[in-house]
Amino acid sequence: MAKSKRRAQGRDAGGPQKRRKELPKVSTGIAGLDLVLGGGLPAGRVTLLSGGPGSGKSIIGLQCLLHGADAGQPGILVMFEERAAAIRQNASSRGWDLARLEKKNKLYLMDARLDPEAVISGEFSIKGLLAILDQRIKAMRAKLILVDAADALLHLYDSPLRERRELYALHEWLLDRGLTAILTVKTVPQEEAPSRYAFMDFMADCVIHVDQRVTAQITTRRLRVIKYRGSGYGRNEYPFLIDENGINIIPITSNVLQHRAPGPKMSSGQAWLDEVLAGGYKSGTSILIAGTAGAGKTTLACVFTRAACLRGERVLYLNFEESAESMVSNMLSPGITLQPLIKTGTLVVQSYLPEAMGVEEHLFHALKDLDEFQPRHVVVDAISACKRMGSDQAAFDYLMRILNVCKERGITCIYINQTAGLDIVEEISGIGVSSIIDTIILLRNLPIGGSVVRQLIVMKSRGSKHSEQFHEFRITDRGMDPVKA
Amino acid sequence: MKARKRERRRYAKPGHETYVFRLFVAGNESNSSQARRNLERICEEHIKGHHKIDVVDVLKDAAAVPKNNVVVTPTLILIKPLPKVIVLGNLNDAKQVLAALRLTGDER
Repeated sequence: MAKSKRRAQGRDAGGPQKRRKELPKVSTGIAGLDLVLGGGLPAGRVTLLSGGPGSGKSIIGLQCLLHGADAGQPGILVMFEERAAAIRQNASSRGWDLARLEKKNKLYLMDARLDPEAVISGEFSIKGLLAILDQRIKAMRAKLILVDAADALLHLYDSPLRERRELYALHEWLLDRGLTAILTVKTVPQEEAPSRYAFMDFMADCVIHVDQRVTAQITTRRLRVIKYRGSGYGRNEYPFLIDENGINIIPITSNVLQHRAPGPKMSSGQAWLDEVLAGGYKSGTSILIAGTAGAGKTTLACVFTRAACLRGERVLYLNFEESAESMVSNMLSPGITLQPLIKTGTLVVQSYLPEAMGVEEHLFHALKDLDEFQPRHVVVDAISACKRMGSDQAAFDYLMRILNVCKERGITCIYINQTAGLDIVEEISGIGVSSIIDTIILLRNLPIGGSVVRQLIVMKSRGSKHSEQFHEFRITDRGMDPVKA
Repeated sequence: MKARKRERRRYAKPGHETYVFRLFVAGNESNSSQARRNLERICEEHIKGHHKIDVVDVLKDAAAVPKNNVVVTPTLILIKPLPKVIVLGNLNDAKQVLAALRLTGDER
């Protein structure tokens, strides 16, 4: 009490301060979450992490704690529900070695499960728990504390008033010790902040809510910062996923377009096509290859891929239609050998089944590929398959994000889109991404006489001249050859 | 069913076994002192001479806390006779405590 009064007085005496002081923050060790939180959790304050069962709150908390322990900020984990052994085991399945940190006195697991058969008679407090924690904090100079399933403790109390009193006492205790604390609390799904614990939201300085929901049979996890005293934060819902390395959050951080200017022209891999394009593709731009089935879209993309790789430029090929093996063998027919490029590492083909995961997870994998491989060019084959990630909106989100990242990094982005017909402009443009595409190449098969005639036309090429005619071509065992009229 | 049988046997000869308690307290904090007094009184009244109370102050002996999984204070553990019983709180409700400790059969 006295302490809070002093704090308030100090604020009054100082008056409105001109110089803004940055709130000290503690990194969570989760890059995306730090971005959302504007740097991390409030240092020396209490953060409430709420969410339904299986929403990932304990893992987020644990990852923060381990990051701190690794960064020289020892931490304590108080578990009201899980056994210490179970936590160690779950963590080791993610490659997190808790025992190592425990041995180094950087981490302490406190098993605070209550005996379910205990009889309650009269009033009690958590002084016993705090006494041992106090000792531990001193012994290991702990800076962080994670109280997992704080709600389980509160269930002991028979009245909301006592619950509240005990929690306020815990809150004060944490603040007095200057610990950066995370309290996780279970909430019932569909109920964001259950009224029973609503007061906790007011008490804590930072409140984060996580949930898990299913749309179109695909599960996505989302995280939202509800409040953050004294700090700005990202106010959206951010999708995140949990993989073998822990939590991954991919917030849209750039609210301005920071696209790089297109680079110089580069060969498309075919001399005649370079002529049609008035010198080739511009590097660092976005190119859409649209056309009906069997019109040669993948071939056109692979002609470029091979040419780029032979120039020593790395290409990432994201394939949603077929496996790398099948693509390599199919491309042998038009004489495009990809295997040696894969072997030398200039070409990486990643095949993903669109419906295998949600758009966030796809995005995460793609961004990881981009980060790890650092390609100069990316091919997405095909954006029509991306709809199978859940919905048109999901596909649009995915493609826009990839495109944005590529443009920011100056990576050439080639999208392949399969269309059913050629008349519908919208279909050609592909899920509404056409307005931000720099170059659109359309391929078609025309049945003329007893055979099929292949044609190519450049429908758009931003900032560059190009031919406006249909160009006839053949797919031979040496690639794509022009047919002179 | 088994528990029932055991209970009846205990009622038949109350006070013949030695009751061993361990009481975890937090210094002289009010709930802790109350629990101490209440337990002593209950023992005096119901199992006089057949009890042993081991009081552990968690503020002094914090190492004992994790061993016994004590989360709240006061915590009373009936160690003997088995089965183990855990009672949380200041033990103000004597009736409830007696029932929990299986001493209700003893009519005074």
